[in-house]
Amino acid sequence: MSDDTKRSKPSEKMIELRLPSLLGYERVAMDAAASLASRMGFETDRVSALKTAVSEAVTNAIEHGNQHDEAMKVVVLLTVRGDELIVSVTDQGHKTIDEAYVSRVPQISEAMKRDDKGGWGIWLIQELMDEVEFTTAPSGGNQVRMVIHLER
Amino acid sequence: MEQASLMHNGKTSIELVVPSILGYEIVARGAVATFAHFIGFDQARIEDLKTAVSEACINAIEHGNQLQPDLPVHITSSYDGHRFTVEVSDTGTKPLGTITEPKTIEEKLAGAASLRGMGIMLMAALADEFLVEPSAAPGNTVRLIWYQCEVAQP
Repeated sequence: MSDDTKRSKPSEKMIELRLPSLLGYERVAMDAAASLASRMGFETDRVSALKTAVSEAVTNAIEHGNQHDEAMKVVVLLTVRGDELIVSVTDQGHKTIDEAYVSRVPQISEAMKRDDKGGWGIWLIQELMDEVEFTTAPSGGNQVRMVIHLER
Repeated sequence: MEQASLMHNGKTSIELVVPSILGYEIVARGAVATFAHFIGFDQARIEDLKTAVSEACINAIEHGNQLQPDLPVHITSSYDGHRFTVEVSDTGTKPLGTITEPKTIEEKLAGAASLRGMGIMLMAALADEFLVEPSAAPGNTVRLIWYQCEVAQP
């Protein structure tokens, strides 16, 4: 169990998920987050937004943070705190997130010129989640903390 | 997707920790089912697996951890290309070995026993191999194994 899990407060409910750094395993995190969000009462469109954000965050961790190193893990913490769901995705930090990527807004015209058409993940996460924070985890890896609020 | 691309050194695994709150077994069940689907299990086996994993988690929450929310349930699911294993561990305030053998369905329907208490029988029936053992740390571990799973053709 991670240090964060041990620090969970009595009023919080936390799920920890550890995944290999192989593309495709983001689906496990997406489905776990969706299952938890549905159980909390989130509407379908919000659950879809959450799944997209989780997918992007875990894919980033696999591709960029862990550089596809299959032996490295991606740790996903899902914390239920009152009416909000907090999702934390942490890699083991082969490569840190470029600060410029966090604040930039990608342009379709630029993306279309590139072969991979990528570079939308961080922007998508920021658009879809209510709160987003990019930090360095105590372990040294990249950490993205996303919060989605339940609107009643 | 090629099997090799889903594994590292011929093996792959996911780990999950959930609180001891009834209902959270659904999240664990879903995560393991997604993993099994991802590596190519057929749907019938996934349905067996979902029921068995749910039962193992509910046992861990209710019996092993005695419904104490702060006590974690650890679920590790792994696949080596031949064998799919799910281990569910509690922190063991009560040994699962003390759970008595279930009555038959006929006895339950006749009111001679609780309608519940079918979990161990179900797990034994649905998995190819089923084992309850003490954990290395205090607690119980339920191990469910499915052999020679049918892999969906790409």
